Amino acid sequence: MPPTRTHARSRKPPPEGFSDIEDTLLEFSNKMKDAENASHEGKKKYETLWPIFQITHQRSRYIYDLYYEKEAISKPLYDWLIKNGYADAMLIAKWKKQGYEKLCCLRCIQTKETNFSSTCICRVPREQLKDGQDIQCVSCGCRGCSSGD
Amino acid sequence: MLSSANLPPKPPPGVAPLPPGWTQHKAPTGHPYYYNMATKQSTYTRPVFQSQAPSPPPPPVTPSSQNAQIPNAFPGPFGGNFGQQGNFRSQGGFGPPGNFGQPGSFGSQGNFGPQGNFGQQGNLVPQGNFGPQGNFGSQGNFGQQYQGFPGGQHRGNHRGGHNFDRRDAERRAKDRPKHRKDIPGCAPWVLVKTKLGRRFVHNTETNESFWKYPEEVRKGVVELDKIEREKKQRKECGEPNGDETEVPVQVEKTQADKAQEETAQGAEPRPGASEERAQDENGDSSEYEEVEVTDDEEEDNPSKRQRTEEPAEDQPVEFNEDDIAYQLAAMGQDYGLDPGEYGDGEDGDWEEGAEGLPLTEEDSKALFRDLLDDFHISPYHTWEKLIEEGKIIDDDRYTALTNMKARKECWSEWSRDKVQELRELREKQEKNDPKIPYMAFLQKNATPKLFWPEFRRKYKKEPEMKDMKVSDKDRERWYREHINRLKLPQATLKSDLTALLKAQPLSVLNQSTSLDALPPTLLGDIRFISLSPSTRDSLLETYIGTLPAVPEGATASAEDDAELEKKRAERERREKALAEREKRVQAEKHKQRRDLEFGRGRLREEEMELERAMRVNKDGLKGYLAEE
Repeated sequence: MPPTRTHARSRKPPPEGFSDIEDTLLEFSNKMKDAENASHEGKKKYETLWPIFQITHQRSRYIYDLYYEKEAISKPLYDWLIKNGYADAMLIAKWKKQGYEKLCCLRCIQTKETNFSSTCICRVPREQLKDGQDIQCVSCGCRGCSSGD
Repeated sequence: MLSSANLPPKPPPGVAPLPPGWTQHKAPTGHPYYYNMATKQSTYTRPVFQSQAPSPPPPPVTPSSQNAQIPNAFPGPFGGNFGQQGNFRSQGGFGPPGNFGQPGSFGSQGNFGPQGNFGQQGNLVPQGNFGPQGNFGSQGNFGQQYQGFPGGQHRGNHRGGHNFDRRDAERRAKDRPKHRKDIPGCAPWVLVKTKLGRRFVHNTETNESFWKYPEEVRKGVVELDKIEREKKQRKECGEPNGDETEVPVQVEKTQADKAQEETAQGAEPRPGASEERAQDENGDSSEYEEVEVTDDEEEDNPSKRQRTEEPAEDQPVEFNEDDIAYQLAAMGQDYGLDPGEYGDGEDGDWEEGAEGLPLTEEDSKALFRDLLDDFHISPYHTWEKLIEEGKIIDDDRYTALTNMKARKECWSEWSRDKVQELRELREKQEKNDPKIPYMAFLQKNATPKLFWPEFRRKYKKEPEMKDMKVSDKDRERWYREHINRLKLPQATLKSDLTALLKAQPLSVLNQSTSLDALPPTLLGDIRFISLSPSTRDSLLETYIGTLPAVPEGATASAEDDAELEKKRAERERREKALAEREKRVQAEKHKQRRDLEFGRGRLREEEMELERAMRVNKDGLKGYLAEE
């Protein structure tokens, strides 16, 4: 019988520089766990998902900033993080496009699932909204993520 | 806020024209000031054309320096905040700062009616309401002198309530410390003579002032007086003396003042003056007694005493009572003083703060960066976490940048630079070989009695065994190698170690190398751990002893030192600038509060007046006149 190889032993170590951001990522994962286990009491059905989306957004943003804005992490590490699900590659791909710099989540630009094939309300620039209109989108609780805001 | 600094000198005629947007106005006091219609700024200093900015805005003033959580809210110029407070300001919102304190800007004296009325009706108002409270305002010197006049004399002489008060106030305003003499034999104490000829002792070290001479100082004062008297006598006899020159001037001046006072006050006898003369004549201890008496009087109102000894910062605590503040402000108004002037005695401090060091934008940024550096913040953290932790918020430098957006921007810039710096540092540093801790671990724990699987099972919880940077295969290989070498004779091991040592270049291993900081190439080698630490260390020590010194010296250090020195100086300057801005903010806040209290007091006054006017009785106009 061949020796059992545990997952931990065969795993390759993360690329250089991971230890720098490990703490922050751990905090994010703790927050995520809390959000997952939070009670749904008194919340709307869709509301329970908001923190999940928000934390995902924050974490992706963090990695995006580190790699593209601050150039603090290396390409191999960035790839590794994407591969291991620390950041959402699709979301980051949108952020690189003009007009989508602050996009909150991918569902908010998905026009096919809406009645009038339009984007989410949070994509509407603030000046086009009515005065004093306070919005919060259903999919991720975003309060407005148009680039002009 | 300041005696002289808040009114900068008028620009000489023929100066450069104002930048566009600025207009010149005249304050009620006659001082010209400048107002920018676009930015709603007003300033006494003449704005000039500048390359980077049309008008250097005065350093932003955070409403509260400690609680800077919402730093975005900036009141404009401070004058503007009080536009609605009362209708007493003709200029509305944009009066120049300090406008408030000028004598002309406030309406008529009639507002102090109540006090005046009491006086006339012959009620037993001790000393006029106005008087004792006046002492709150005057920090040390000229407020105190008021106690010199026993209350009775006042009452007996004043004819028309507030008119008298006004004159009295003027007189008090004129009193200033004039001469300072060291008291012989009492080193930190000095004897200060005011313009009106009253004297008090002041301790320059503790900043305490007393009208009543403390026991140990009294002797010194007596002695000083003796010397003084002797000098005077000598002068009268016609003996020239080097020190004398100042004395006659002083005497003359006080005499002149007295004369002026007396003419202004009509027939009112001035006890201070007469006493002074009496002292000149009999020149005995009576004056010391007199001072004590006044001091006892003063204790009727304990806060007066405190006022003389407390630093300016503590004042707001005592200003809680609106009345006091109102009286104070009104008095300041009467004197034509600025708030800062009647608020504290130590003008010097404020004057320095008013001009201050400029705090430019770069400085603020650099200050914020210093802050981040000082708190050893990881550049890999998120901004939100940094704010949530709130460690940096309590620091003064946090307020150097005035809004959250700027702070965040500065932070991201800083973290980018910091990461770069860290990376360079790491590259320069020797790569920390994961092999080294494992080798040390082997040396400590490996025995020939255990096979590799047993060893691994036994120590699988140890961090050295779990480290992912070393593969399991390597670990096994090194373990076996090490065990095999342990079986070799000591002589072979020793010769192997010497060979290893000899292979090290002189730059890494030389005479100055200590045993605690051996080069990693040595520490990570299997031959290094084969010998037991005791025998190996003695061998190593003797070998290092035989080595020559470091081949080349560090030459670039002098330049580095200069660079560091420059950086430090720059930083000190910045911090000083920040501190000064802080001081200015304090002064502004102070002024603001006082203005507020003053406005409130005035409103109350007006309300009272209205109420009085509303009280209609059957006498009609006649009744009113009689009441007045």
